[in-house]
Amino acid sequence: MEVAKQGTSKAGNWRDYERVLLPKVKNLHKLEVYEENGGYQALKAVLTEEKWTPKAVTDEVKASGLRGRGGAGFNAGLKWSFMPPVDDKPRYLCCNGDESEPGTFKDRQLLEYNPHLVIEGILIACYAMSITTCYLYIRGEFADWITHIEHELEKAYAKGYVGKNIMGTGFSTDVVIHKGAGAYICGEETSLMNSLEGKRAYPRIKPPFPAQKGCWNYPTTINNVETLACAPLIINKGAEWYSAIGAPTHPGPVLYGISGHVNRPGVYEFPTGMLITDLINEVAGGMRGGKKLKAVIPGGSSTPPLRADMIDGVTMDADSLRTAGSMMGTGGMLVLDETVDMVTWLKRVSHFYHHESCGQCTPCREGTGWLEDIVGRIDRGEGNVRDLDLLADLCTQMEGRTVCALADAAAWPVRYTIERFRDEFVAKCKPTLTPAGSPLTVDA
Amino acid sequence: MATVTIDNKQYEFEGRPLLLQFCTDRGIEIPHFCYHPSMSVPANCRQCLVKAGTPAVDRATRQPKLDEEGNPVIQYFPKLMTSCSMEITDGMVVHTHRSSELVERAQKDNLEFLLVNHPLDCPICDQAGHCPLQIQAYKYGPEGSRFEFEKVHKPKHIKLGPRVMLDGERCINCTRCTRFTAEVSGSHQLTIIERGVNNFPMTPPGVEFDEPYSMNVIDICPVGALTSIDFRFKARIWEMSSAPSITATNAKGSNCFYWVKNNEVLKITARQNTEVNDYWLPDEDREGYQRFNDDRPHGPSGKTDGGMRPMSWEESYAAAVDVLETADPARVLFVGSPHATVEDNYLLSKLAGHLGADTPVYLEHTVPGSGDNWLITDDKTPNASGCERLGFNAADVPLLRSKIQAGGYDVIYVLEDDPVSSGLFDSNVDAKVILHYYNTTNATLAAASVAFPAAMIVETVGTYVNVDGHAQRVRPAKAVKGVNRTLQMEMGKSRLDQHGTPFDKWYDETKLVDCKPGWEIIPEVAKGLGLELSYRGPKQIMEEVSTALPSFTGATYESMGLVGVRLSDTPTLV
Ligand SMILES: Cc1cc2nc3c(=O)[nH]c(=O)nc-3n(C[C@H](O)[C@H](O)[C@H](O)COP(=O)(O)O)c2cc1C
Ligand code: SF4
Ligand code: SF4
Ligand code: FES
Repeated sequence: MEVAKQGTSKAGNWRDYERVLLPKVKNLHKLEVYEENGGYQALKAVLTEEKWTPKAVTDEVKASGLRGRGGAGFNAGLKWSFMPPVDDKPRYLCCNGDESEPGTFKDRQLLEYNPHLVIEGILIACYAMSITTCYLYIRGEFADWITHIEHELEKAYAKGYVGKNIMGTGFSTDVVIHKGAGAYICGEETSLMNSLEGKRAYPRIKPPFPAQKGCWNYPTTINNVETLACAPLIINKGAEWYSAIGAPTHPGPVLYGISGHVNRPGVYEFPTGMLITDLINEVAGGMRGGKKLKAVIPGGSSTPPLRADMIDGVTMDADSLRTAGSMMGTGGMLVLDETVDMVTWLKRVSHFYHHESCGQCTPCREGTGWLEDIVGRIDRGEGNVRDLDLLADLCTQMEGRTVCALADAAAWPVRYTIERFRDEFVAKCKPTLTPAGSPLTVDA
Repeated sequence: MATVTIDNKQYEFEGRPLLLQFCTDRGIEIPHFCYHPSMSVPANCRQCLVKAGTPAVDRATRQPKLDEEGNPVIQYFPKLMTSCSMEITDGMVVHTHRSSELVERAQKDNLEFLLVNHPLDCPICDQAGHCPLQIQAYKYGPEGSRFEFEKVHKPKHIKLGPRVMLDGERCINCTRCTRFTAEVSGSHQLTIIERGVNNFPMTPPGVEFDEPYSMNVIDICPVGALTSIDFRFKARIWEMSSAPSITATNAKGSNCFYWVKNNEVLKITARQNTEVNDYWLPDEDREGYQRFNDDRPHGPSGKTDGGMRPMSWEESYAAAVDVLETADPARVLFVGSPHATVEDNYLLSKLAGHLGADTPVYLEHTVPGSGDNWLITDDKTPNASGCERLGFNAADVPLLRSKIQAGGYDVIYVLEDDPVSSGLFDSNVDAKVILHYYNTTNATLAAASVAFPAAMIVETVGTYVNVDGHAQRVRPAKAVKGVNRTLQMEMGKSRLDQHGTPFDKWYDETKLVDCKPGWEIIPEVAKGLGLELSYRGPKQIMEEVSTALPSFTGATYESMGLVGVRLSDTPTLV
């Protein structure tokens, strides 16, 4: 195992970590099994115990330091507190299970193995924000998982955990499963709401923010599947317990979706703040075929890649990754070994964002395709070194100038892959012509 | 009062105006494409970026932070902001491209993107010359392009409906057209299909874009993606003149421009008037412009022993005087016209009064149920309201018809209408008919003793009152044969060459219609009958009308200007 040089793990005694999001319980997806293992007790507590007023629940989640697992890492309790005071108008929760960022496949795991934890989390969040309808928006391609969770949801309805007069407490909430509309952009929170409303999934401008005007113009909160799954744990074990797990500024258990050239790719639950090196070398069983590591993309394809020499001592939490020059994103970690051609890799990533731009904003609609065109040309060996400057220019022309963050997500990999692997790009460009006899001319 | 600083200059404001609209209202241009004042704000074109900030507030004291000189510290938003969607707040500081290089650069960048997949086929595009993309690319765009790849291909010349053609490649995805059908007309006949750079507007499967307001999207499309199937390739914009006027299709009097080349009206587009039609025109107002060009008469004619023959104008006036001079006033019927201007109808009523005949009546032209409570009315004429305000009553056609059939009238004087088609009398009527008419298809021509070709709404100066009591002026869009200084003055001197004058390179004598406005013909007839109607033109007539008749108080040419005035609801009085 490589030794961390700059920082040390914030994940404590992670080798003895006991999983809480995906505990080692057989058939936990079944309601009976979930109940046997303390399921729906957190919900029961908040609905019956005096101390759990809606505000107290929100405050507890805020105090736990839980940060959104959908990509942006916003404090979940704080987000809940943005909901306006209750009036007689509808308000909504959307649970975001659209999971489409390349390299991200952890929500699916939760929906498959611990769906009731997600449902219980939804119900607690609904209670905390006095919401009576939650839309669980699941990526359309997850057809099997949708059927699966529908089945479990029905059982929860039958048992009185969801629906009218939950557990006889007078609190009612409906959970409606919505099958996604087949585009990456549907996962962007405002686009998701348009999609739900039956409209074209174009992201909306902010302000107004969803808490002011969300679904059908009513106050709405959007949280990721994994974020909401943390709520029952926080209620059961307390904010203090939660905030003590992993990195202090970005605490909690987290699902690392590790893919790429490692021996054991998969979804692993550990505290936040794990050393990237620990995740690769121990958790994922080391590099496949003993090859050398070339790059790590820490949190889904939009997060800037880190070169192998940049990851020493870097831990998986917002602060450490920011210092290192990347982001936590969704925690979907791509590991690339020395055989990977970073130009080809970037071409594939650029293709994705080109293909998925909703086309609403000019810079994203036109820029994503142009980026792919140029990277593709370099990849075919037909590019020029000056193309690299053009690419950087185009990134500047896209970043921060669009309705949603997809344009940034498309620009960052381009900017940082070139910045960090420039030699590989230059090597693939056409040789720069210099006059014969010039001192710059390299003899063949 | 609350203030905002734009490019280092302070402005006061009330409420929470949107920055782009606020600037536009004050002549501070900010390039933009998707924003339209009467639709929702999607902020999708990203062209209107500005740098903006608000006074920083000290968290602890909640007081504005001040610098050493006591000026508020401005905290700029981390990103450039779209001015179309940003509400102005007190103390806000804004930098447009005029005072920020970053903004100038960002606007250039955006135009570079807008053009990479644009076909740049301006030389064959109808929109060229008045294209917001072309104009703003010249003003704010980069020089040249760095794009070296094949452009995206999309469907071209697609008939979205009977009147609107799409060129998908020219579309810049501003969604103005789809928002129009969703938010303004409510037809929902257009939506964006495909994704990303392949996006373009389309109708849902099996649906035609045939709503009665479809052609408005041609006006608001900021590029040449949506064009008129009828008008396509007929003329370049710079070969045409445009006259601000109103439409005569129905009683709404929607504001429009008449576009003319070589003395022919080639198209009609909407002109903004928030009091009447906002930015919109029904398709029926735009169609049917051919009647201004086709089947037009060439000079007056009159009946002699040998039947109808062409006459000079002097001869025709004398013939009309002849008919009226000897008639018993009680047996002369004056038929005013909801097609004609207030001025012409007023002169007609003066003539009737001079002779001692009854006040003129007018013929209604309504199609019950055809209106839509918006810009299409049941009434298919532009000035029934004006006639009513002059004290004219709508003719009871069956009653009047039997009186005519019973020989109750010797002379029928018809102003700009077609009573035979309306069934008021038949072409073999046993009375002498004096007729002012527009088109040779007029069925009453067969009954006429004297026929005066009348100037149409696009050739005259005058006033119409719409269904809501809004009095509006019309202006000549095309020239008539013969010299009329009033018409020439009103035509707008800068583009005189394009009306088909002898100095015009497309000048073609045959396209000049030999007709005259009512306010030129009626005084000539009146003079022969001993009545001097010597006005310097319709402007002076209207001055008299607006002082003499309370129902027209305030309707002077000055006050009507380009947008008209709302008349009070005083009951008609004569
Ligand atoms: C282009 C784009 C795609 C996104 N896709 C997802 C997604 O698939 N799932 C998700 O949870 N969040 C996604 N997000 C983030 C959401 O907009 C939103 O921030 C998140 O759902 C909020 O939940 P959280 O606060 O619990 O993380 C996406 C954002 C963008 C800009
Ligand atoms: S940034 Fe891209 S994906 Fe996001 S709204 Fe704009 S065009 Fe659509
Ligand atoms: S067709 Fe014209 S109006 Fe419609 S989206 Fe395209 S550019 Fe905008
Ligand atoms: S006008 Fe299009 S973004 Fe503002």
